[in-house]
Amino acid sequence: MAETVTHHRELLAERDAHAPVAHPDHATNTGISNTKLAMWLFLASECLLFGGLITTYLLYKHPLPGSGPGPHDVFDIPFTSASSFVLLMSSLTMVLAVSAIERGDHHRLRVWLVGTALLGATFIAGQVYEFTVFYNEGLGYTTSRFSSAFYTLTGFHGVHVTVGIIMLVSLVLLSLRGRLPEHRSETVEIVGLYWHFVDVVWILIFAVVYLIP
Amino acid sequence: MAAVTPEPTDQPIPTQALDGAVAEYPRDRLYVMTAVFLAIVTAVEIATYVWPELPVWSWGHESNVGIIAALMVLMAIKFFTVAWVFMHLKFDKPLLNRLFAAGLILAISVYLAVMAAFRMFWAGDEMVRRG
Repeated sequence: MAETVTHHRELLAERDAHAPVAHPDHATNTGISNTKLAMWLFLASECLLFGGLITTYLLYKHPLPGSGPGPHDVFDIPFTSASSFVLLMSSLTMVLAVSAIERGDHHRLRVWLVGTALLGATFIAGQVYEFTVFYNEGLGYTTSRFSSAFYTLTGFHGVHVTVGIIMLVSLVLLSLRGRLPEHRSETVEIVGLYWHFVDVVWILIFAVVYLIP
Repeated sequence: MAAVTPEPTDQPIPTQALDGAVAEYPRDRLYVMTAVFLAIVTAVEIATYVWPELPVWSWGHESNVGIIAALMVLMAIKFFTVAWVFMHLKFDKPLLNRLFAAGLILAISVYLAVMAAFRMFWAGDEMVRRG
């Protein structure tokens, strides 16, 4: 019995040793590059930041009587659904950009990066439009506790998307100058991690803020 | 496929030189299929808004428990699909899984505690009163 278990473990170890891995080992204690590890640590801390903002929104989502419009008075779900879909698809173009540079296809890298930036910019334009409409309907930042929590949460997310767009444009410029060779593909991957995180946060916000009755 | 064991070096390592899986793995197709799956899940999410009376999620009608439960499940599926495939947790070292899970679990625990402290889960007994 013990021999069987040992043999099984050896088989599993053998399988793991030969399992395909997507990324090379680095000369660090963890085998992961320090930059990538730092980005994941940053993203883990961002979970706490957005967790706090979402919780605050949930606590304050019901405005006091007479303190301005509530969520269901102003939200335009079809419009927000469309912009959510745009942001979701930007994750596809981003991951295709990472895939392109790993293959050494710099032309497609730039195409996908520009595509991702444009989709991100479309999302931001939608958010600016949405905020303008809400403001015109009487929902200012300090109108009610609901409006403050809503604008803070979605505004923070919008700032994150904007920073992501700046990083994407920087990558395109670096690539055009020939300063983004294949062996620096991890740079694109790390920007991609940030971009996908912004997307997953919006997945939470879209469901919790807009769709849950 | 032979295992790749790179020599420690200070120089960045070309991915293709080390990782045969990158060339052989049908990644782009996987990514597109994942995006299609995410689009379908999003469509189902939106359906909860368009057709709230569907029997699948209309149970617990007064409290919307069915819709909330459906949306939470769909949201979790989308969240982990993006993290697993697009963020490469599926392909990367398990340490990164643990790192991200630690942040996530910590955030969920802390904020569930905060919401419980504000009595959000006791209908009509919230410390932040409804209007």
